[in-house]
Amino acid sequence: MQDVLFYCFAALTILCGFMVVANPWSRNPVTSAMFLVLTIVSLAGLFTLLHAFFLAAVQVLVYAGAVMVLFLFVIMLLDLKEEARRKIRGFGMISGGIAVAAVFGIIFKTLVFDTPRLSAGLSAPNLEGVTKPLGETLFTRYLLPFEILSVLLLVAMVGVILLSKRDLR
Amino acid sequence: MNYFELLTLAMPETILVIAALAVLAADLLVMREEPVRHRFVVAAAISCVGCCAGLFWMFNIEQHASVLNGMLVVDPLTRLMKAALLALTVFTVLVSVERDFTAHVGEYCALILLATIGMMFLVSSEELLMIFLSLELTSLSLYILAAFNKRELKSAEAALKYFLFGGTAAAFALYGLSLIYGLSGATNLREIAKALSGQALDPLLICAIVMTVIGFGFKVAAVPFHLWAPDAYQGAPTPSAAFIASGSKVASFFIFAKVMMLGFAGVEGSAVWRGMISGWVPAIALLAALSMIFGNLAAIAQKNVKRLLAYSAIAHAGYALLGVLTDNAQGVASLVYYVITYALTVLGAFGVVAVVEEFSGDSQFGNFAGLARRAPCLAFCMMIFMLSLAGIPPLAGFFGKFYLFAAAVGSESTNLGLLWLVILAVAMSAVSLYYYLQVLKQIYVAEAPASASTARPSLFTQGVVAVLAAAVVVLGCAPNLLLGRLLEAIKVAGLY
Repeated sequence: MQDVLFYCFAALTILCGFMVVANPWSRNPVTSAMFLVLTIVSLAGLFTLLHAFFLAAVQVLVYAGAVMVLFLFVIMLLDLKEEARRKIRGFGMISGGIAVAAVFGIIFKTLVFDTPRLSAGLSAPNLEGVTKPLGETLFTRYLLPFEILSVLLLVAMVGVILLSKRDLR
Repeated sequence: MNYFELLTLAMPETILVIAALAVLAADLLVMREEPVRHRFVVAAAISCVGCCAGLFWMFNIEQHASVLNGMLVVDPLTRLMKAALLALTVFTVLVSVERDFTAHVGEYCALILLATIGMMFLVSSEELLMIFLSLELTSLSLYILAAFNKRELKSAEAALKYFLFGGTAAAFALYGLSLIYGLSGATNLREIAKALSGQALDPLLICAIVMTVIGFGFKVAAVPFHLWAPDAYQGAPTPSAAFIASGSKVASFFIFAKVMMLGFAGVEGSAVWRGMISGWVPAIALLAALSMIFGNLAAIAQKNVKRLLAYSAIAHAGYALLGVLTDNAQGVASLVYYVITYALTVLGAFGVVAVVEEFSGDSQFGNFAGLARRAPCLAFCMMIFMLSLAGIPPLAGFFGKFYLFAAAVGSESTNLGLLWLVILAVAMSAVSLYYYLQVLKQIYVAEAPASASTARPSLFTQGVVAVLAAAVVVLGCAPNLLLGRLLEAIKVAGLY
């Protein structure tokens, strides 16, 4: 059952991700954004299968909810008619398809013909379940990366304000 | 281990974060109404004080520890690297102070400090998650620094190219690192090597190696992942370009070597002529050979000094990769000595370019004509930098190359097998002499056009550039100042 669900969600994620950037029927940015919501929701499904319920909930609330609303605001404020009229170019599709096929071939070969290599005991901590173990690991084992991320967000914030501000002169 | 111990271990970085916040606060709250010049001096002063405080802390409190599964490693080697990075940051800030490319000086200094924090965490980590995060912190700050000149369209173009290439390369690196994690079940480099050792190369591992090499190859601007470098160097404000070319190169090369040597310790392969065995060494040998050939040949055709420095950076990346694939203690020591002296040299060269650009508006060859008459001190410093880049004794560039090539030839495991790469490198450095001398010819021989500005460079900038030139000469005449310490530190760090 779990396996079936995993493949369903994984396929849905990839399919919707594809539709975000290369929807053959519509070039409307709003449609792309809606497919992005579907992608995020199916990712949340994958998290649920890993028993990371909190991450799944956050994924839906923050990304599919708040961030997407912002996306839609921006799309509707900007005039993107031009983007909607553009056609998908054939060459890009073909070369992209070949690249994807090659990567798929390598992964397929590894999965089917090579002897499986099971990693002996993942040393990563058990993150199953709800918020408590997540919070504990975040503030013990992964404290340093967590703090660096906060510095990184500061950089992003300073950069966005700086680059988008109109100079008075 | 408790939080306090972690804080003392990460104190230099913490001091820099505080300094960055102090710069922002001082500039946006207190100095708001002052003229840009004053604000820049204050911001630069706070940044330099922060860097010096970090240095002071590192050298007064001897620590030796590896905490949180290798996320933060403090030993003599990382201390030395961090000291070099802090020194480069100080010099970058000093070179920028009198430049006029932006009014947002507080943000500029703060971003330089934040990028330095990323580099410092980068060199002191042996754990994939930390390596990726600090690499991103550094890159993000550098993208913004490249876009700082909002009066020039070129600056935005440079930043956008740098950003798009960088984002794609980061995605490749992330794929590579996650494949490594999937294969080994570990994120600590030494544990990864343990898990991978004794296993044959399978396609998945090759994918992981290649993707990781692509990610880091972009950061060090090795061919064929170099396309961003010329445009980014030319379009970015010159002090930002100096920082991209110096500090970030030092940190990226060090972590590149560390990931390859520590993480893939069991799957080296071999790049011996006619005896190649697949692994990460031949991949890097290919990058090195391509970078040396393409970088040097493309540099010959350049008419702009910043673009020339970009192509020469690509060529130098090729030489430095020899140190990575030598794969022993001597290789690491010569690599680190080489990149540090290279960074000092290129920082000084960009300092001179910045002054020339300010006086004549551009950095084409013609703008340098007759510089020796107008600014004899700067011209002399530029001569030292160019000759050092070309590898003329007794300057630091010569000894850097000498040790690299000696390490590559003498590594006992390959038994003169890397001689083909060294011969190529020596031949290509002979080619490089041509285009470095072209710059000097403009400075010393060509007559200045009648319209040239007669303004003199300020004493302060001349002083900073002269100090950098002196450092290049001193490190060249007495390489053991750095090299001896490096070899000792590598032994203590247990890299080999």
